[in-house]
Amino acid sequence: MPENKFDPKIIGEFLNFSRNFTEAPMKVSVPHEVKLGSTQFDVVYKEDKMRLLHFKPLTSKQVRTPLLISYAVVNRYHIFDIDPKKSWVKNLLEQGFDVYLIDWGTPSKIDKFLGFDEYVNRYLDNCVDFVCDETNVDKVSIQGYCTGGTLATVYSALHPERVKNLIATAPVIDGWKDTTVVSNIAKYFDADKLVDTVGNMPPEFIYYCFSILKPFEQGVEKYIKFLNNIDNEKYVDSFLKIEKWLDETPPIPGELFRQWIKGIYQDNLLIQNKMYVGNKHVSLKNLNMPVFTQVAVGDHLVSPECSMPLHYAVSSTDKILKLYPTGHVGMIASSFSQKTVLPELGQWLKERS
Amino acid sequence: MENESNATDYYKKTAMFWSDMITMMSSKPTTLSAVGPLRNLSTNLKKITSELTESNKEIVEFNNFLIEYYKQLADTWTGAQKEVSSKISKVPQNEEGLEAYKRVWIDIFENNFTGLFDSKKFSENYNKLVSTELDLLKRWNAITDVMLKSANLPTKQEIEEIYEELHTLKSRISKLESSKKKA
Repeated sequence: MPENKFDPKIIGEFLNFSRNFTEAPMKVSVPHEVKLGSTQFDVVYKEDKMRLLHFKPLTSKQVRTPLLISYAVVNRYHIFDIDPKKSWVKNLLEQGFDVYLIDWGTPSKIDKFLGFDEYVNRYLDNCVDFVCDETNVDKVSIQGYCTGGTLATVYSALHPERVKNLIATAPVIDGWKDTTVVSNIAKYFDADKLVDTVGNMPPEFIYYCFSILKPFEQGVEKYIKFLNNIDNEKYVDSFLKIEKWLDETPPIPGELFRQWIKGIYQDNLLIQNKMYVGNKHVSLKNLNMPVFTQVAVGDHLVSPECSMPLHYAVSSTDKILKLYPTGHVGMIASSFSQKTVLPELGQWLKERS
Repeated sequence: MENESNATDYYKKTAMFWSDMITMMSSKPTTLSAVGPLRNLSTNLKKITSELTESNKEIVEFNNFLIEYYKQLADTWTGAQKEVSSKISKVPQNEEGLEAYKRVWIDIFENNFTGLFDSKKFSENYNKLVSTELDLLKRWNAITDVMLKSANLPTKQEIEEIYEELHTLKSRISKLESSKKKA
């Protein structure tokens, strides 16, 4: 019989892990009781399920042009303010910006028929109207993140007279160039059948897409790390907040999902300037305002090849494309974004506001 | 394949035959003894049986795609494990070695599975799997609609029509408000 000699450190590690596993419920909050968001805001406008949030200023002097953030239709807006030290919103407020953010809410079955037209020409347009009226300006700066970046791009192309600056952060633009597993599923997906049978795109399907992104790092290793760090208060707090955020994805309105899969991923209409929203032609050539395209090199949800074409498709001469060595979430909610992404964005925006 | 189809046809025909027979046989006494709903039940039985027998084919298809789905996962797992074994033949028994082994294991498994999820064969099979699941859901919806109808409640289709009507009304109001504001 060969003799197995285990390193005592391994046995110690194993015992430690077992102890953490047993004691976790006593040491850690229940994930669903964790509070997300820390910066104070008022809900200043509501329409159907959509809410417009206005964050309370943190400086006495503010940049003239307000900034309206169009969040994605996947997950909730909390990621922009998930931790005070990594808060996108707080950082912008501290730089003197007047920040408004759109929370698209949680669509129910009655919202099945909402599509690009309602999101862009109704909700987003009404929010821009509201912000302009409130702040006494004619134009706003719009930032869109992920699918919200696509909505912001479409809006800016249809209503260029209302947009002072466009910031597209990891936007979904060229579906054919997207190399992620999400786009691979989308290519062959029968969106008509899903929408006609189920109605809205169920969150469970979105969870499935997340689970195949990095199944071993995200599905296994992450939780082992969590249990190994159970005594690290900061780590646990950040972990639980992100987990809760990931777990709170709302359904996507059926019609919007259908138009997204067919129009963006399968037929790739947007980048080809062949898209129509509410019978209006969407041409990226109409984007004549300053445009800042932010891309994360390690983005495994929206690949850089999918976002970058925006920079080359616009007619604006005042445009910039920045590639950051981080991931999809890291670009907006990390120490890196605080140190690099936000200061660059703030400076660019101040020069044009 | 042909035998499978014959067997499905046989069961389908047998089920339809008896549900028709039962409907016809029960229609006379129920017409006499019942007013409305009970008569409905026998008619509904035929529709429900029809949906259930029709769903047999889809259940078989769903099962085939599901088997293929798990086969793809299992094959990828085996391939990844072989690759790990070819790189590190023995699991290290010290802390540093074990940590390195874990890293290699995760990297290889991640690469292999991402390769699978990125492939055309995975996407095609997965989407066919979802598609047959939706076909089954359609059958279930049709059965639910029969029951709702017999209980004199609005069907899914009728509720959808109301939602669509509301949506159209909201859009019209929004456009009116917008044009009023601009004027």
